[in-house]
Amino acid sequence: MRVMKSIIHITFTLFVLHSIAVSLLADEFSPQALEFFETRIRPVLVKSCYKCHSQQAANKNELKGGLLLDTRQGLLRGGDSGPAVVVGKPDESLLVSSLDYDSFEMPPTGKLSDAIIADFRKWISSGMADPRTKASAEAKETVGIDLVKGRKFWAYQPLQDHVPSVSWTTQGDRRNIVGNQIDGFIIEKLRAANLQQGPLASREVLLRRLTFDLIGLPPTVAAQNSFLLDTAPDAVERVVDELLARPEFGERWGRHWLDVVRYADSITLRGFLFPEAWRYRDYVIDSFNHDRPFDQFVRQQISGDLMSADGYRQRQEQIVATTFLTLGNSNLEDQDKSKLRMDVVDEQLDTIFRGFLGQTIGCARCHDHKFDPIPTRDYYALAGIFRNTKTLNHANVSKWIEVPLPQSETAENALRQFESESSALQQRIAQLQGKVDTDQPIMSASLAGIVVDDEQAVLTGSWQRSVSSKSYIDRGYQHDLSQGKGDKTALFQAPAGLEGEYEVRFSFTAGSNRTKMLPVTVTDAVGKTTVIIDQTVVPPIKNRLITLGRFLFQPSKRAQVLVETTATTGHVIIDAVQFLPVDVAEQQAQQADMVGDEKRTAAELEMLKTQLKKLVARKPQRSLVMSVQEEKEIGDTSVHVRGDVHNLGELAPRGFLQVLPVSTGIAFSGKESGRHELGEWLVDRDNPLLARVFANRIWHWLFGTGIVGSVDNFGATGVLPSHPELLDYLARRLQQGQWSTKKLIREIVLSRTYRLSSVMNQDSDAVDPDNRLLSRMNRRRLSAECILDAMLSISEDLDRRMGGSEITVGAKNDYNYQHSSRRRAVYWPVFRNSVAEVMDVFDFANPSMVVGKRDISASAPQALFMMNSERVMDLAQKTARLYLSDSELDDAQRVKRLVQVAVGRVATPQEILLFTQFLDDDSLSDVTKEQKLAQLIQAMFASVDFRYVY
Amino acid sequence: MNKAQQFSRRSALEAVGCGFGSIALAGLLNQPAMASPINSHPVTLGKKTKIPARAKRVIFIFMQGGPSHVDSFDYKPILEKRNGESIAFDDDRTIANTGERSTKQTLMKSLWKFRRYGESGRMISDLFPETARHADKLCMVHSMHTEGVAHGPATLFLHCGAHNFVRPSMGSWIHYGLGSENDNLPGFVSICPSPGNGGARNYGSAFLSPVHAATTLGSAGRPAIDATIRNLVNGRYRTDEQLRQFELLQKLNAQQIRNRIGDAELDAVIKSYELAWRIQNNAPQVLNLELETAETHKLYGIDDEVTESFGRQCLMARRLAESGVRYIQLTYGDAGANPAWDQHSNMPKHMDHARKVDKPVAGLLSDLDRRGLLDDTLVWWGAEFGRTPYAQANGTGRDHNPSGFTMWLAGGGVKPGFTFGATDEFGHEAVVDKVHMHDMHATILHLLGLDHKQLTFKYSGRDFRLTDVHGRVVHNIVG
Repeated sequence: MRVMKSIIHITFTLFVLHSIAVSLLADEFSPQALEFFETRIRPVLVKSCYKCHSQQAANKNELKGGLLLDTRQGLLRGGDSGPAVVVGKPDESLLVSSLDYDSFEMPPTGKLSDAIIADFRKWISSGMADPRTKASAEAKETVGIDLVKGRKFWAYQPLQDHVPSVSWTTQGDRRNIVGNQIDGFIIEKLRAANLQQGPLASREVLLRRLTFDLIGLPPTVAAQNSFLLDTAPDAVERVVDELLARPEFGERWGRHWLDVVRYADSITLRGFLFPEAWRYRDYVIDSFNHDRPFDQFVRQQISGDLMSADGYRQRQEQIVATTFLTLGNSNLEDQDKSKLRMDVVDEQLDTIFRGFLGQTIGCARCHDHKFDPIPTRDYYALAGIFRNTKTLNHANVSKWIEVPLPQSETAENALRQFESESSALQQRIAQLQGKVDTDQPIMSASLAGIVVDDEQAVLTGSWQRSVSSKSYIDRGYQHDLSQGKGDKTALFQAPAGLEGEYEVRFSFTAGSNRTKMLPVTVTDAVGKTTVIIDQTVVPPIKNRLITLGRFLFQPSKRAQVLVETTATTGHVIIDAVQFLPVDVAEQQAQQADMVGDEKRTAAELEMLKTQLKKLVARKPQRSLVMSVQEEKEIGDTSVHVRGDVHNLGELAPRGFLQVLPVSTGIAFSGKESGRHELGEWLVDRDNPLLARVFANRIWHWLFGTGIVGSVDNFGATGVLPSHPELLDYLARRLQQGQWSTKKLIREIVLSRTYRLSSVMNQDSDAVDPDNRLLSRMNRRRLSAECILDAMLSISEDLDRRMGGSEITVGAKNDYNYQHSSRRRAVYWPVFRNSVAEVMDVFDFANPSMVVGKRDISASAPQALFMMNSERVMDLAQKTARLYLSDSELDDAQRVKRLVQVAVGRVATPQEILLFTQFLDDDSLSDVTKEQKLAQLIQAMFASVDFRYVY
Repeated sequence: MNKAQQFSRRSALEAVGCGFGSIALAGLLNQPAMASPINSHPVTLGKKTKIPARAKRVIFIFMQGGPSHVDSFDYKPILEKRNGESIAFDDDRTIANTGERSTKQTLMKSLWKFRRYGESGRMISDLFPETARHADKLCMVHSMHTEGVAHGPATLFLHCGAHNFVRPSMGSWIHYGLGSENDNLPGFVSICPSPGNGGARNYGSAFLSPVHAATTLGSAGRPAIDATIRNLVNGRYRTDEQLRQFELLQKLNAQQIRNRIGDAELDAVIKSYELAWRIQNNAPQVLNLELETAETHKLYGIDDEVTESFGRQCLMARRLAESGVRYIQLTYGDAGANPAWDQHSNMPKHMDHARKVDKPVAGLLSDLDRRGLLDDTLVWWGAEFGRTPYAQANGTGRDHNPSGFTMWLAGGGVKPGFTFGATDEFGHEAVVDKVHMHDMHATILHLLGLDHKQLTFKYSGRDFRLTDVHGRVVHNIVG
């Protein structure tokens, strides 16, 4: 895109020139000029330009850049980037610079000959004779969006309170005793289609359904037994309340949310790890467990860092919530940083608007949304908010932002005390070492002897210049990026003719990411001497120079110092080499001695250093958190023409989606990004989408399909709701119930509809094959996490610890990561380059995009995984040992119990027969009982009933 | 979704066997209920393409890191004559970092001699003497240009036609468009892909169903002899034990669904096991290179330590192509941030890489040709970008060059022994008949009978395609 950098769109010029264009008519041109046009210009335009820049191209929807070159007016009027020509001034004409390949590169198939370009220059400078006047140059016009009409779309209508026309308590001649208001809405639609709800699910099926849906694990045998024996009318209610109160609830429902927010623990390019992302994962789990009101949950994720807080814990939680904004899978290496900045904004807007409001506003980045009432101006009004928000620190490879995690006053005090104590010690040590205030650049001119700077060194391989650490000589230093080891060398050569004995000193800026063993080779008259330098330790002289030794040089052999990166780990730093005549070095040393009593100083220095070491060992830990920061300059942004960051149009003052019926009383301050205001606007009760979209998600997570099937798209290209009144009812319940997620889930799972059997019914399936009307429950496949967690829990190999980072200590990037955790799947690192295999095959949500609805596939890799994966076989074997160790069980009892544990129901006689026959089969030699039982259990894990909830 | 569509979905669901046992059952991410949710042959289901397919499958040979075109296929004698001269160039990296144009650079001649090959008389350097013997089969595109100055972005752009957003890879689009040609193998295979520079995104399906993502064999930087499909073989139980266990499983499944007869989704699970069983019993044969003669091993250089690993990749590719795999990618690369061909310094290292790949690639071309497979198999060779005709500061290597480089194609409907486009006199920028990476993508789809403007997927409210809003089919190279 570099070619467009120099183009600036100037709107007003367009109109000025437009009026000129009208005043010029074809008959004002001389015949010679027209002849020139016909023979030299028109053929080129037809051959090389019309394909993309003519009315014909526009008719075929192939017009590029909004530019028409098939009329004179079209040229004057120009395209998205402004007028194509300035009559009489070829040097100012975009057309000419495009032909020259200076701005655009046109035609893209190859540069035209210099002779042709000269013709165009001549044509433009001599008045641009052109007889083509047909008035077809309307491509620049855009059709405005009719917001009044747009607001009539169902999704933007205010929430309504509905009451179903039929009572849920009666259906046909039966009287229902289970159910609630929700069922009224369902029965109403069924009745209209002449259908009825089917029977309720059995209690064992219901318990398995509820347990997986609410906590993501299979019911234990004990839970099954007690539920089946509990005949009290409120038995289901009590089980539901119990499950909602379990900490595993947050682990199950938190994971749903993590799908929506494209949660990951690494980034694709270079496989960088996000070491602090887990804090957000834990925040989400905790939010569901504590039933954080959804409106508060939303606001914290958008602007938690800007919200006032009651104590440090709340401050902590709020800032962790904003990690949400930082999880995008950005192209940190993009060298066009202004483009990268807008790409990050676009990713954030896409996630927020699809995740919270089901709106696909990304289309409006380049043009007014083609289907939804979202003008480009609205997009940039919102983009302005996030342009004021800093998400990355830009560098060659940009980096996300980590800030200190707020902590208690006591912890803050401890840290402050540590800092003051350690800085006092350091200062005193520095004083004694005569190094006060040496962490500043110094110029080589101020140093004695001969200094060869890194800029004069002969380098191979690519080195990165830097001025980040300040203790360098002259204009900066260079490092090897810790890459391309072996390919990079640096050679510091003294001026020819150096003679005599010299102390050679090597300068570098120390740091913890540096190499500990850098070989530096000095060539003198005698030969070569290699000294190993530790670049993590601050050098003794002026914080930057270390002595390599004394060497004898002769003019016959060039004095040089070679730095090689082979076999180094960590960054290699090169700054300068100083060749110091020995007599000068002696002098300097004597001066240093004059500071005082050498021995006493040395003793004190030793003592202070020990003190400092001890102090550092007790350094209070300062945790970090991924977050965003407010930009220094706060303001509005401009419309980017066709999404091009280098082509700015009119200013778009910060604002929201105009199509939504939220009163626009919210004003932006000139001091803050506007995220705070965006949060307020999102959760405003007049915004019907936030509650609708979230209520629909909850319904989808419980029924396997949403009332609006396209859960992330409530726009014109989405699917219409099957039960719009019910959706509004649920959305209102959410708002009225203080945005409690648990209350809404509770109401839904206690409905009769949720409790229906999923067995198909020919009559209703003929009318409603997709079961959109819910005459029965949907049978649903378990998620990858449920499949894994169930196997771990059945084998009793599950580690139930909650929270914390689960990334293997020492992992440097996410390439070929070996997942070996025994904890619930939600805690397994989500690596964009190494998705755990079980997740990968069982349709885990792509962690780079908003996924409200996962794919459900049945594939051979799944089958191969269940049949042959070592992990699955290990878990089956563990389970086998567990059951064999209980010697009181016989085989029939064992298999009965296994069926109950694995699929949550009583084994059928056929299953018992099949299994006992398998265990009794001795036709194959050398197969132990344990092996056979393990194979049987593995088959059960692989079976259909294990994988589905009915 | 109306009733008729629903029933067509049903019947299609029952006809399992497309792709890698791959049926997306619950529809696509946000796909409204208009297209069939069975994510296997969208194009053939809906709009039958009018473009005749010239190729049935693609073998993409990816030279990770960017081999230098001026040292291999794009002969620039002027570099020899003016070696060491300082000339101003618009260096891509300098422009991206500082915006500065016309910076002084030192021309560097090639270390390798160029010779004339074949009837086409094409000049090819001594880096690729074996490939050069096939000069008359190759269709050279000298005027490639692309986006991204760093490896990560440019590699993603090569594979997915985008680098700033997560988009499906080319193989996934093709698999989505054409489905698979066989029942016993995956339809899209990536052999030894690199985990770096985009990693899984380079063969991922993004918003398309995961069934269109590549099945990977091995990983770059590891020996190809170990490359296989995950979980293809059971490492614990004997075949007779496995068979008995498999029979138990299928009996159990049959029992379990007896109350749910006609439930297509559950049927598909059972069929996925049957398919897996077939793959488990067939794929090891396909991937077993020992079934090939010693002569064939020799042809691919498997008998030589230097060419053994990439030779195996190439032979595997031929066997997969022969068995009906739609899109096969081979990667010559590694796991580093400075990948294999990335000679910023130490240009002679190009020779080490060339030695490892030249003979295997030539062997693949010969073998495809003699088996008649080259007629409908498109072989595509190239990298994320080329290299500069001038030296980097240290004088021993060349920097990245996305503005002009060479890729070649063979077989599958392209003109043999043909040259298209050109870079400037130094080989820095494509200037004649420029072919953008989007254009290359469009052309390859075209050769497969797919219209790049029609191969779309509705996601997040709009239609997406591999070439975004760009791309032109380069008809001149189509035979």
